[in-house]
Amino acid sequence: MTGALRSRVIKPLIGAEVLADKAALLAGGHAAEIRALLEERGVLVFPQANFSEAEQIAFTRTLGAYAPDTPDERTTAISLDPALGANADYIRSSFFWHFDGYMNDVPVLASILCARVLSAQGGETEFANTYAAFAALPEERQQALTGLTAVHALAAAQLSVEPEPSHATFRHWQQVRCNTLPLVWTHRSGRRSLVIGNTAAGVPGMDPLDATGLLIELRDWATQERFTYCHTWQAGDCVIWDNTGTLHRARPYDPASGRLLTRTKLAGEEPFA
Amino acid sequence: MATTAKTRFVSEPIKPEIGSRILADKAALLSGDHATQIMELLEQRGILLFPQVHFTDEEQIAFTRTLGKFAPEMRGEEIYKITLDKTQTATADYLRGTFYWHFDGFMNKVPIRASLLSSKVLDPQGRGNTEFANTYAAYDSLPAERKAQIEGLTVVHALAATQLDHTPEPSYAQWQEWRAIGRAELPLVWNHTSGRKSLVIGNSAHAVLGIEPLESKDLLVFLRDWATQERFTYSHKWQVGDAVMWDNTGSLHRATEYPADSIRMLHRTKLEGEEPIV
Repeated sequence: MTGALRSRVIKPLIGAEVLADKAALLAGGHAAEIRALLEERGVLVFPQANFSEAEQIAFTRTLGAYAPDTPDERTTAISLDPALGANADYIRSSFFWHFDGYMNDVPVLASILCARVLSAQGGETEFANTYAAFAALPEERQQALTGLTAVHALAAAQLSVEPEPSHATFRHWQQVRCNTLPLVWTHRSGRRSLVIGNTAAGVPGMDPLDATGLLIELRDWATQERFTYCHTWQAGDCVIWDNTGTLHRARPYDPASGRLLTRTKLAGEEPFA
Repeated sequence: MATTAKTRFVSEPIKPEIGSRILADKAALLSGDHATQIMELLEQRGILLFPQVHFTDEEQIAFTRTLGKFAPEMRGEEIYKITLDKTQTATADYLRGTFYWHFDGFMNKVPIRASLLSSKVLDPQGRGNTEFANTYAAYDSLPAERKAQIEGLTVVHALAATQLDHTPEPSYAQWQEWRAIGRAELPLVWNHTSGRKSLVIGNSAHAVLGIEPLESKDLLVFLRDWATQERFTYSHKWQVGDAVMWDNTGSLHRATEYPADSIRMLHRTKLEGEEPIV
């Protein structure tokens, strides 16, 4: 027996805190409400939900199709410690605004992070609502952007943290699929979001410097105070974000701090369009 | 080892494809007697090192004037102080871009011919080498098909590109400020009037015009990586009083890491360019 889902708006244009006990969340009775709230608010916080790793996976499965990163279907360790996270080099680029899964035509629907070990300082995760950012653009700007594309690549994100790679390193990055995506995503719901972030390398057909300027302008616009929420972690917190309508980034922290989050993902349901 | 009739001017190569050490007393250098020889050697060797020559500012200016047309700074100063200390140099922020390979003066139709650095104060931990890469030698050694691929290509250079290396997420206002400073479209291969060719690359190179963004990055990364391989480069560890001059039209340079609070101080003079990039 579950009553209506209790939640509290965090900021007018982004975020909600969900107040529900773990048993109720794991039972899945609120799943439809959570999904609707996620799409509306961009980010949902489950304060100190204290999910075990198995519970995090179980909760993820209540919300949609679990998309594990590895064949063993475990959660993915997000850490700067090479002993904990295999891709610590790549995670450094997560200090810059991005979304996940640009390389897939159907990107990840949502990601779920649970805090396991915290750093003494820093390490907050910030979110920006790219639906709200697009909606707040002047009408003529919205029209001017519609129809433009940007090419996304891991290399673009990595150049932010390593501006002078060897060519061998660059080619290694380029083995991850690049993808040309619309700058404005018109979702099936009719809502539109900006598709930007540190993976955006350029806008085909536009002067390269103007293209970089445009991508900076839109990222700066979308990440202004009113569209963003900065989550300061408490151990046990669980946060889920709509990867199709937000950007996120981590705030810097000491790589030796042991900070560890575990991530699960919900498989995408809708292609970029 | 080459000596002149006067025997006061001796030079020796530092590495086969870059750099020569000049062993000449200061009076001989200041006399201007060897100016032609120095400029020829500079073009051949990319960089010239004058170990512990201990130029004063006045001497550095005078020596620079013996070699060609002196190029003052934007505000008319003859000496530019290279330090990350903002109280010493108003443009210290822009110097953060100097940790990446670059050449100077890409915004000018005729980029400066050469720069001369004198070491005044060392970083106490010995950080902050200056490194040089010979872009003539790098071009010459490219495979023929690569030379054919890049001939005729044009690259957009901008100060904004250099600043993104250390500030990848600027505000749009910051970006616009950088953009206002300059943009140039330059050939990727410089066909010098001498007939020699050099690569025009570095951290100001934002993109190759007319090709896809990632193909462009791939090519620029390849060429910078190629040009800065060991054989084409020289890393100078400073001693107080050292002077180093480089041919800005045929080399790249960068500083290796040193902290913003380092007391490291170099004084720079420049020679005006003589030839547009074509």
